[in-house]
Amino acid sequence: MSYLKLLKLALETGRVTRRYPAEAPMVTESFRGSIEIDPERCWGCGACALACPPNAIRVEVEDDNVRLYYFLGRCIFCGKCSEVCPKRAITITNKFEHAALRVEDLETVIVIDVVKCKVCGRPFGSLRELRAVSEVAYLVKKRMDLCPECRSLTFGSALASARGRRA
Amino acid sequence: MARASGHFESLISEVAKLGGVLEQVSHGAAYFRVSRANLKHMAKALYSVGAYFKTCVGSDETLVSGGMALYYIFGFDEAGLDVVLRAEAPVANPVFPSISAEVPAAEWCELEAGDMLGVRFESKEMRRLVLPEDWPAGVYPLRKTFKYSSRPAPTARRELQEVGGLPMGPYHPVLHEPEYFEIYGEGEIVTDVVYRGFHVHRGIEKLAESERMVYDDVLFLAERICGICGFVHSCCYALAIEKAADVEVPERAEFIRSLLLEIERIHSHVLWLGVAAHILGYDAGFMHAWRIREPVMVAAERLTGSRKTYGINAIGGLRRDVDRDKLEKAVRDLKRVRRMFSEFAGVLLSVPQVRKRASGTGILLKSIARELSVVGPVARASGLYRDVRKDYPYFAYKHASFRVPLYTEGDNLSRLMVRVDEVLESIDIVEQLVDRLPQGSVRTDRVEIPILRKAVASVEAPRGEDVHFIITGSSRPYRWRVRAPTYQNLPALRAMLKGAPLADAPLTIASIDPCFSCTDRVIYCDRQSGFCKPLRSDLLNNSGGSVA
Repeated sequence: MSYLKLLKLALETGRVTRRYPAEAPMVTESFRGSIEIDPERCWGCGACALACPPNAIRVEVEDDNVRLYYFLGRCIFCGKCSEVCPKRAITITNKFEHAALRVEDLETVIVIDVVKCKVCGRPFGSLRELRAVSEVAYLVKKRMDLCPECRSLTFGSALASARGRRA
Repeated sequence: MARASGHFESLISEVAKLGGVLEQVSHGAAYFRVSRANLKHMAKALYSVGAYFKTCVGSDETLVSGGMALYYIFGFDEAGLDVVLRAEAPVANPVFPSISAEVPAAEWCELEAGDMLGVRFESKEMRRLVLPEDWPAGVYPLRKTFKYSSRPAPTARRELQEVGGLPMGPYHPVLHEPEYFEIYGEGEIVTDVVYRGFHVHRGIEKLAESERMVYDDVLFLAERICGICGFVHSCCYALAIEKAADVEVPERAEFIRSLLLEIERIHSHVLWLGVAAHILGYDAGFMHAWRIREPVMVAAERLTGSRKTYGINAIGGLRRDVDRDKLEKAVRDLKRVRRMFSEFAGVLLSVPQVRKRASGTGILLKSIARELSVVGPVARASGLYRDVRKDYPYFAYKHASFRVPLYTEGDNLSRLMVRVDEVLESIDIVEQLVDRLPQGSVRTDRVEIPILRKAVASVEAPRGEDVHFIITGSSRPYRWRVRAPTYQNLPALRAMLKGAPLADAPLTIASIDPCFSCTDRVIYCDRQSGFCKPLRSDLLNNSGGSVA
């Protein structure tokens, strides 16, 4: 008859089901939820996009701006992005209630000023990153506002012919 | 490794005498080159001297050696030695001798190599195992010429008439291994069982070789192989890479990995006991089991940041450390869990219906268990003393003393008892490891992965031995093969179900812990009347067996 002990067990335990969502969710302080990106701090360097295992973060240099896209639908909440962010712009929150009616609502977009090549006019990177780098690497400051291709062409005779072609 | 190396070496030279050419010995595995003609003889000899069969791996090595390679992995449990036989065939005509007559456990992996790589086996009838029926013939996804992004157009599906013309409904993905059984019966007695699986084959091995992934990303991919024992897979993958690249992992990281693996085992077993109770119609037991599991999940979350898919592994250690405070909290929680669990297990095992329905049903004889090289609690309930933690020591298990529960009856009750015992043992292990946790860093920076190194890694998952085989490539694995424990255990179900009453089938199927869910369907065919009907398993449970 020892199986009747279950009754005692049940009475002692009482009710364990929480009245969620009326009650606060039961997550501990270490819980890793979605990330938050501080748009003021973000450089748009793309380190997070490179580190992200499921490619939930994309950083794209577009004509008018550099844009960082964070799509929650792909995020696996590993927090690798926050580890690699040089500006500590990414914080891991404990948010997990992400239900949305439209899929677009799952995407966060961060817009950063773009820098265009002085020579060819092609947008090639984020202005903020460039400024920060040129403060440290002052030797290359002169060619900072050239895109990587034009930069390599500014040496020697290649420069002249390249300019000729492009004009 | 604490094993006597003398025994190790004599075993290797014995295997070499059978006809293999020893290529290398590293990290507890000996690699032999074997001619195709000699393969069968050698496999038979290995199996008869006590080696277990782990898996076989087909690998397209046209870019390396020019041929199609097949690796057969055997394990000598007592010596803790893996023996890997490598045979090669030209890509134009990749025919190998089949060893599945001598080694029945090799049946599935040979079929899988046929599906994925177009390997054929002499005098063996090939059928689809992994690929769906509408996959076009002659397209082999694991060949290097097949791009990960290509999606061949499906061919026509088989007509349903062949299975009685009854729609069987969608295959419901359960927790991690959706399955479909055709159970044939005479009246109430099961006469045969046909299994069709792999409905949610995700092409993970191919994805890991594709350009979308690098070594570190695969860790997270591996963790998603299983929804219950994901950490096992990420640890096993990390271990394989660390073996292949000779990476020294800091001791503290090894301790924490072992500790988390045990926490995973505890929650997995408690979950299973709840499911077993549910299948037996004892839902009060189910509720209490899952209530007791909750603090274990919270402990995992506190230590890693996530209840499941911990995401803290890295090649060469761990991505983050755990602090003393959290560990102490976890140990305190587990103490409570032990008390609650012992109480619950006592109640569960004293319920007469549970005992009656579990004892003497779904018997797996030791001889068949040995033949099929079954693993984990299924093996230990059939009298096979095998546990990777003891046989092929890895991580910090050598620092903990624990007992491997062994039962000989081979029935559902034994498998249940093995899991009850293991929960308590695992709590002990966690306590010991926390006590002895060394200080220091949890990650080494010295990780360089040379190309074309091979390694076999085994980790004891809650369901048994998990095996990962790796051939390293540049930036990502060249070939990564995963053999989950259920892969090895499912073929044993046929032996367990045949000749037993139909009413025992749900519990028996669940007893190997394939994550059975109430939405899974079985189709029941009565040979006498020729009548087939699809059944939902919950109907089967509630009706107490009278379905015919």
